[in-house]
Amino acid sequence: MLILGCIAIIAGCGCMGLWSANRIRRRPVELREGLMALALLDTEIVWGSTPLPEAFGVVKERTDTPWKEFFGELQERLQRGESASTAWQETILAQNLHFCLKKEDWQVIRDVSKGLGQSDSTEQHKRLELVQRQLALMKDQAGIWSEKQAKMWSYLGFLCGIAGVLILI
Amino acid sequence: MSLHYTLSVVQAPKVKPTKVAALQTEACISGPNQSAVLWADMARWFGEDIRSILGNIRVVPFHEVEEIRVRMGQPLMIRTSDKDLFLDREGEVTSPDKAYHVKREDLTCALERMTHSSVYAAEEDLKQGFLTLSGGNRVGVTGEAVLVRGQIQTMKHISALNLRIARNIQGRGLKILPLLLGTQGIVCHTILISPPRAGKTTLLRDLIRLISNGVPGLGLTGQTVGVVDERGELAGMCQGVPTYDLGYRTDVLDGCPKAKGMSMMVRSMAPQVMAMDELGHADDVEALMDVLRTGVQILSTAHASSIEEARNRPTLAHLLDQGVFERMVVLSRKHGPGTIDGVYDLRTGRIL
Repeated sequence: MLILGCIAIIAGCGCMGLWSANRIRRRPVELREGLMALALLDTEIVWGSTPLPEAFGVVKERTDTPWKEFFGELQERLQRGESASTAWQETILAQNLHFCLKKEDWQVIRDVSKGLGQSDSTEQHKRLELVQRQLALMKDQAGIWSEKQAKMWSYLGFLCGIAGVLILI
Repeated sequence: MSLHYTLSVVQAPKVKPTKVAALQTEACISGPNQSAVLWADMARWFGEDIRSILGNIRVVPFHEVEEIRVRMGQPLMIRTSDKDLFLDREGEVTSPDKAYHVKREDLTCALERMTHSSVYAAEEDLKQGFLTLSGGNRVGVTGEAVLVRGQIQTMKHISALNLRIARNIQGRGLKILPLLLGTQGIVCHTILISPPRAGKTTLLRDLIRLISNGVPGLGLTGQTVGVVDERGELAGMCQGVPTYDLGYRTDVLDGCPKAKGMSMMVRSMAPQVMAMDELGHADDVEALMDVLRTGVQILSTAHASSIEEARNRPTLAHLLDQGVFERMVVLSRKHGPGTIDGVYDLRTGRIL
């Protein structure tokens, strides 16, 4: 019974560690995907002069989960008549649980909402470009750290489990 | 002789009184409901306050309204063919002092909704002072123009919107079409002129549909019509699908400047008749002269209240002097929008 309990604790902690490691690994992937989505949106705005609901639809089609759902919700909200900036912020609130991004990532992404759709295409391009540059920086940093941290967390989980077991025994 | 067409003329068959009576009661039942639905549909372009006002309108039937005027700090106003009506918060008609006064947020919100939160997409239209809503309704916009090297860059601090409700009234064109046909049953080069709000676009749309479908009764076979719809008003295109029926043989080039669009159309779609709205720019005239040499018949409109006034507008005068157009249709609002003042044969100067 004791052994079973010990195994359960170690396995539980280990799984949590692996889960955190997975989340850390997914962050740069999601940031890259987000960057690609913003670049697409930029192209639609600058070259296609596509209205936002339609542009979000195009981006939705060309991205994977969870950004697909993110842009899907944005499109729906705009079609319902919400303004673009409120829709962007509300969608972040509603969708951030499905992402592995950190608070600081969301702060940068939230900047897109400022003046979204409210000015000419040059201005829109400048704003989106700025956000893309900041996101790219974050992605690079996340890329360097994520591997190390993910490895650490995957070990740390099991080690914590073992430590817990030792203390309890 | 002035000809006057209204819907009632087209619709009133007095042969079978019982049927007409039945139709009328049906219209009475469905009328108010339908009007409320149409009002609600129009209200979606505005923010919360104006939306609820328009949604509550019961006294003014939608089909009577021509314009909704939203001016900053001024009472909310709707225009029918002969009256200006001011609306209060409950959607009732009232005096200007008691009416709902438009706030800045109302205009910002309306602009946001009308452009689907995408001002950049309507950039080119805004430079010219208008927006086209899906459905073909046009919104006039005034504000502060921002200039860069003498060219209008954009419009800021929007101060007034004028939502002009587009109508698709079929049947009017049929009355004047025989006068526009030449000897071999070919449509003559025609220009429709009128002051604003007299129904030029509505009549042009109807003529396009008739020419495109053909009218066997008049010996007119259907012809390929190329429409250069610079302002997106004629066809009311929405993602490639026209809102208005322009006929079976009509190709629409949406949002393209007329000057470029005309030659594109000739090269690519081989139209027999080319239709466009609001001729007036020097570039348009130049392109038109070029297109004329390709054997295409022209159908167009322009702003001018009489033939004399048209002759005094430099760009139109040039066209008229060159004898480009064979027929001129003068419209006015004497008996409501769409009153036809006269159809002139410009070659002989006769009134037909």
